[in-house]
Amino acid sequence: MRNSIVGLLFFSLFILVLIPLPGARASATTIPHGTVDLVAENQWISPGSQTYFGLNFHLEKGWHIYWVNPGDSGQPPRVAWHLPAGLTSGELEWPAPRRLGTSTIVDFGYDDAVMLLVPVRASPTLSANQAAQLGAELRVLVCREICIPGKAQISLTLPIKSVPPEPDARTSELFAASRKSLPRPAPGSWEFHVSDLKDSFVLTAKLGGKTTRASFFPLEESQIDNSAAQKIVQTPTGFQLTLRKSDQLLHPIERLKGVLELSANQTYLIDVAVGNTQLAR
Amino acid sequence: MKRFITFLTLVALLVLAAPVLVLAAKVGQPAPDFTGTASNNQTYHLADYHGKFVVLEWHNNGCPYTQKHYMSGNMQKLQKQWTGQGIVWFTIISSAPGKQGYVDANGENNYMSKMGASPTAALLDPTGAIGHLYDAKTTPQMIVINPQGVIIYDGAIDNRPTDDVKDIPGATNYVNGALGQALSGKPVETAATRPYGCSVKYKGTWF
Repeated sequence: MRNSIVGLLFFSLFILVLIPLPGARASATTIPHGTVDLVAENQWISPGSQTYFGLNFHLEKGWHIYWVNPGDSGQPPRVAWHLPAGLTSGELEWPAPRRLGTSTIVDFGYDDAVMLLVPVRASPTLSANQAAQLGAELRVLVCREICIPGKAQISLTLPIKSVPPEPDARTSELFAASRKSLPRPAPGSWEFHVSDLKDSFVLTAKLGGKTTRASFFPLEESQIDNSAAQKIVQTPTGFQLTLRKSDQLLHPIERLKGVLELSANQTYLIDVAVGNTQLAR
Repeated sequence: MKRFITFLTLVALLVLAAPVLVLAAKVGQPAPDFTGTASNNQTYHLADYHGKFVVLEWHNNGCPYTQKHYMSGNMQKLQKQWTGQGIVWFTIISSAPGKQGYVDANGENNYMSKMGASPTAALLDPTGAIGHLYDAKTTPQMIVINPQGVIIYDGAIDNRPTDDVKDIPGATNYVNGALGQALSGKPVETAATRPYGCSVKYKGTWF
């Protein structure tokens, strides 16, 4: 008797889990060794406003997907949006990646779980009191030791209302966590300089204090050697980081752009002009 | 004495700080020499092909990016076109035993006849020695060596880094570019690119 009640309880829970939540979150779609779903930050879309959506990935242990610059191998996820007239998607916003690999081949990406963000702007002339179906065709390369290309069709339906959008409590934690992992603009008081030496770039950072750890993830491919160790030298006000040049770099570059990681939750977007002056001592 | 120790420390530091000398395979540099055993049981020595253009193609038959260029017939077409003009083409398989793309001689011969591949030879490099010599990172990765033995192209096969067969028509093929320009005595316009594809499945790597 007791067993059957417990069984019934579990069964009801199971059924509840199976019922997709309306609005903020469609059911997850399978990709190789993982799932993806499209989630909304707000409960509805308002004409003339912007709403963030998320491509929410979950991967099986050991499998990974790639950052916008995948590094030495791999390929970032690609999305083709299918949006109703009056809705326009912006650029994907990518959380700071992890270094994947320890040998001569180093990639940049994400394992376990990651959510890529995308802003969607609604035209002021969009008519309210209807539902908008947002669709996306996703292509994603999922790798562990081997790589498996996957495709997924994901979609989400949200109401359009003429009142200002309100956040959806069901996804607020997810969006907060994803935003925390996005690289932030570097504080205005920080100073950066990049020197162009024969075989390397030296990134000098003045952050107003001692820094023990720093690593750089290049946004452009073929600028620095992804697998080379990044040697850090502490200075009283920051650090100097030596970035070995990529063998594929045959011409001088004007800027070095990428993500500077000081700790897991301290990542910054930097875009520094490359000086052709000698390294200041 | 103290000064002597300081001196010794300085010497030690200088020695430790000296850059590690690596014989880098790099565009504009001489192509490192190698000897390889092919699936046809013959031994090939790169230096024997001095005076000819040589193409190196890193290969893994299980890699979706390699498959893109073989299922479409694109790689076979390139092999036929260029070996037909007297250019030497080595397909190189650096997958370690047990890893994706590893084949023995029979396996590779069967694959080549099934796919209609016609490189000069398919070199079996299960230790990864040739792959590491050229710092090959992906499959496919393409290298073009000129008759003087200098690397004139190193990188991707084309400018569309995807696994989608539909991206082949209209892509700029860098191997055709390098060989075409070099054969007509012009400098190679795009001499180095980021190779795209799967990582080479070397021994000891976990991904």
